[in-house]
Amino acid sequence: MPDTILHALISSVEARRPVALATVTAAPDLACIGRHAVVWLDAEPLGALGLGELEAQALAGAQDVLRGRVHKTLSYATPAGQIKLFVEVQHRPPELLIVGAGHVAQPLAQLGKLCDFTVVVLDDRPQFANRQRFPQADEVLALPLRETLRDWAAAGRLGLDSYIVLVTRGHQHDIDCLLEVLDTPLGYIGMIGSQRRVRTVFDLLSVEAGIPPEKFDRVYAPIGIAIGARSPAEIAVCIMAEIINVLRGGPARSISDERREVAQQRRSRHVTRNP
Amino acid sequence: MDTFYHKLNDYLAHGESVAVATITEVRGSVPREVGAKMIIHPLGQHYGTVGGGCGEADVIRAALDVLQSGEPATVQIDLTEDPTMQSLGVCGGIFNVFVERWEADRK
Repeated sequence: MPDTILHALISSVEARRPVALATVTAAPDLACIGRHAVVWLDAEPLGALGLGELEAQALAGAQDVLRGRVHKTLSYATPAGQIKLFVEVQHRPPELLIVGAGHVAQPLAQLGKLCDFTVVVLDDRPQFANRQRFPQADEVLALPLRETLRDWAAAGRLGLDSYIVLVTRGHQHDIDCLLEVLDTPLGYIGMIGSQRRVRTVFDLLSVEAGIPPEKFDRVYAPIGIAIGARSPAEIAVCIMAEIINVLRGGPARSISDERREVAQQRRSRHVTRNP
Repeated sequence: MDTFYHKLNDYLAHGESVAVATITEVRGSVPREVGAKMIIHPLGQHYGTVGGGCGEADVIRAALDVLQSGEPATVQIDLTEDPTMQSLGVCGGIFNVFVERWEADRK
């Protein structure tokens, strides 16, 4: 039985299908402890917990935990004693998508792997996007930037576990790529560039291209957390730190927070003046 | 792909039964989060961590018993000792670790 459970978990994770493992960790009937069930959102559970009348409720509870995406212990009080069920959500690993295969991308790909991300590197120049430069990356793709991002956004390839870093060879490419995914829900989108440059570009895009300025609020640009980074490797660390901060809901301030706050204040003043 | 469960599958497929320890509940300040997992191998080829240090050593000892008996167990690690130079667990919190045996694949 355990190996069926294990294989179901592995094949679901590989298919990037949401799945959770429920394990009985406490029960008055000791024989139940250690029993497993695999639950999905779109299929009948696999395995039995042996909880009798409580079984259906517990499995439904496990599905709720899966929906909430955070591991949790569920407790049920029964006349015979307490039942505890640990529900472990099998996240598909978050994906770090590095657009631009230059100097910052190399250490960033290494850091991404260290932190258990699936790492994909994309650049339109095969002499940069290749295995020799990115031996650790899961995928290295030499493909056109905009078209590839557009296709991925349209195909549902991007989602809340996608972490995109725009570090191409030129700001115009970064912006072009950003506009392709600006309406796609993502875990994180960061773009390199100085405070001044980023502010100017976002202002121009709002005024000239008519893009609502609040759409830029979720863009982490200038990218990273303020640690005084200078070298490409240091900049990669400051980007990875920001990504972890976003992934874990940490308390660190991003360099882009100031830009975001100024923009929000400006908008709220604007609203009060023109009710 | 290289997830925890792939790793576990590697052990089992090589005919090795192992114990799996999982942090299931935490209270206060502890070294790792709910869901952190570790594989305990009978000959010490462990994988992963449930926080290291003396707490993890307790988990490993309990896991070796679980490997013998096959009976799952919950280990409570208490890190609420007063902070002195001699005390071992002073993070400030308590966490529960569930330990279970996973049987090797039968050939």
